[in-house]
Amino acid sequence: MNNNQKCFFIALSFLLNSIFVFSQGKPVDYLLKSEVKKKVLKYNQEINFNKAQVFFFGKNWDSTLVYSIKQLSSKKAPELKNYCHYFRAVSFLEKKIFNEAKKEFNLISSDFRFNYKVNFLLGEIALEQNEFKIALSHFNAIEKLSEDLYDFKESGVLLNIGLCHLHLREFDDAEKYFFRSVELQEVEKDSLMLISSYMNIANLYYTQYKDNQAIPYFEKAYSLSKKVKSFDLKRAAAKNMAAVEENRKNFQTALVYRKEYEAWKDSLNDQNKVWEIAEVEKKFAIKQKQKEVNVLAAENKAKIAERNGFLISSVLLFVLLGTGVYFYRQKIRNNKIILAQKNELDELNATKDKLFSIVSHDLRSSVNALKVSNSKLLDNLESKNYTELDVLLHKNSSIASGAYNLLDNLLNWALLQTQQSYFYQESLHLTSIVKHVEYNYKPLMLNKNIDFKSSISTSDYVFADLDSLKIIIRNFLDNAIKFSKENGTISIYSRPASEEFCYLVIEDTGLGMSEATRRELLKETILLSKKQNDDSIGTGLGMQLCKSLIRKNEGTLDIESEEGVGTKIIIGLPKFKNHG
Amino acid sequence: MDNINVLIVEDTPAESDALVKVLTENNYNIAGIARTYQDALTLFYQNTIDIVVIDVFLDGKADGITFAETINIVPNSVKPFVFLTSSKDRQIFERAKLTKPFSFLMKPFNELEILYALEMAVEKFYGQSNAFHSEDQNAVISNDSLFIKKNKSLKKVQIKNIVYIEVEDRYCNIITETEKFVILISLTKIIQLLDPAKFFQTHRNYIVNASKIQEIIVNDNLIVLKGNHKVTLSDKYKDFVKNFRVLK
Repeated sequence: MNNNQKCFFIALSFLLNSIFVFSQGKPVDYLLKSEVKKKVLKYNQEINFNKAQVFFFGKNWDSTLVYSIKQLSSKKAPELKNYCHYFRAVSFLEKKIFNEAKKEFNLISSDFRFNYKVNFLLGEIALEQNEFKIALSHFNAIEKLSEDLYDFKESGVLLNIGLCHLHLREFDDAEKYFFRSVELQEVEKDSLMLISSYMNIANLYYTQYKDNQAIPYFEKAYSLSKKVKSFDLKRAAAKNMAAVEENRKNFQTALVYRKEYEAWKDSLNDQNKVWEIAEVEKKFAIKQKQKEVNVLAAENKAKIAERNGFLISSVLLFVLLGTGVYFYRQKIRNNKIILAQKNELDELNATKDKLFSIVSHDLRSSVNALKVSNSKLLDNLESKNYTELDVLLHKNSSIASGAYNLLDNLLNWALLQTQQSYFYQESLHLTSIVKHVEYNYKPLMLNKNIDFKSSISTSDYVFADLDSLKIIIRNFLDNAIKFSKENGTISIYSRPASEEFCYLVIEDTGLGMSEATRRELLKETILLSKKQNDDSIGTGLGMQLCKSLIRKNEGTLDIESEEGVGTKIIIGLPKFKNHG
Repeated sequence: MDNINVLIVEDTPAESDALVKVLTENNYNIAGIARTYQDALTLFYQNTIDIVVIDVFLDGKADGITFAETINIVPNSVKPFVFLTSSKDRQIFERAKLTKPFSFLMKPFNELEILYALEMAVEKFYGQSNAFHSEDQNAVISNDSLFIKKNKSLKKVQIKNIVYIEVEDRYCNIITETEKFVILISLTKIIQLLDPAKFFQTHRNYIVNASKIQEIIVNDNLIVLKGNHKVTLSDKYKDFVKNFRVLK
């Protein structure tokens, strides 16, 4: 008897589970669905409701809970409130939070169209919580409703009512409801439910010790269970049969059923094991794959590293090559520059050497002339020839001043080259400066009987360095005197000037020069002109110095000359400070 | 009309002698010859000096510049000066240049050059550049003196001695208590340069030293000055009488 009791409870608990599955699994919600669709269309701006219903029908219970509470808290569209509560209740139910589900169901107002569903589900909750009377009252409330008008399964309701009666030990009522449900299930050809129902009926009889009535149902359930795939049902049916045969002391048969039961249990286990093995294998395979993937990834990494290494090293090499080439070219260019500079320096050095030789030659001859003249002077002094003394002394003086001028030019040239000299441009009164310079040459010109005319406008000012201007005028005046014949004329005057320049002209009626010489003189060259004839042409140093100084003062130089007629030296100097 | 007093700061006797010769020949008054920096300072502050000629190198040191720097410190007593130098060394020049106004003369120099340098020094010092060499002017006016170029040399007249100035074309007759001479300067320029508190224009052609006025005869349009000079007072300039307290 104990065994029977046990067997019954196993079957019963199993049955409850199966009812749950079935009542939700069948497409019995079509009415609810269409009604909800209508509401969605009506309240299309209630996004939360829309989402809640989508999740509800998609059996996504958590999301349903979230959106339904959002819809409820928005407090809009009270018509939807019942639906939301319903969604929440079902969701809680599915999550086996029965008390919450019950609360939600109770919040649904009594005029809700799907109250029968609420009743049904409340009944199931009560059944689950072993409150069979309450469950029975809920099921009874909907028992009489027509299946055609409402989307629920009458057989399920009947089965549940039967179960309630069974638990309440009201066997007659239980029997009645079980048979009605069997009838419906046979019509519906729902073999799974049918097996459960048969087993319930068998249990019903068995608990009342009506073994003869019970056994056919057990057998029916057993034979039907062979046709279905559910291992649980097969196992339960076999176990029931084993219990039955055991109670009939038919141990051999009981053993067979027991074995079958074990087999189904095993097969269930086997299947589980197979699943587990498959799972393990899968995991293993995944691990293996993962390993392979890892190996490949590592290989890839290594490859990438190698490639990067190649790339970096090649870039480095390229850069190295580039810098090498750059420095090589730089070196070549530097060499070129150095070579050019060397040539230039050589040339300059040669010029300097030549300058040295010319200057020393000049000085030597000057000093020599002075020496000769001095000895003559001494002779004359001894012979008391005083008239000759005057001539000789004048000669000495002119030789000395010539040598002095040469040395002065040399000094100025050196200062100019090394840029050591002070250079300061200011507005200068041209006439005064010219007068200062000519003052020193008056005796010399008088000696040569040169007619000197100076007619510079007193309003002429030039912007120049005083000392440079003096050197320039001195040199040109010196030249003019040097190249003038006796009784010649030298005139200094300023030409009608332009806005910016003042032109100073130094004109003589001396030897003049050829066009070639003129060009040579005006050339922008640092080379000294060659000495053409002994006395009349000097070192050319004075000319170079003048050109450099004029350039430094931002002036211009021009020469007009005709051989045998005379020369005009035209010096253009800025009147005002240039560039602000 | 007085001669110009020149102080020579030069350590080489031969050169100072030459300078003295040239300057005295041109009617400059040599106020003293200093051989050292200390001498120079003593002489400079003891005597009335109009121009200083300074050799940059005294006994091989650039004491000449030091001297110029020293006298430059006291702005009121500083006088125009000229540097003499035989070297165009840039460093020396850069230092000398700081003692503004700065004019210099390279050795060796001739008579014209030294005279020109002195004139330039005066021009630059009183900020009237090219005053002596332009075609329409030959005078520089300082606070207390009138420097006039006469022939090749400079002369000075104390401004307080001027009684009145008579303008004639581009010339101005300067009448002092003792003498009368002509300078070349425009009326506008001379009015600009003279102290407006002391000199007043009384007529298109007259500028009068107020301190020399003895009598103003308004009815006759006449001003009687010291030395019994009489100057016309034209209606246009009568306003200047308001500057005097009239006793009634």
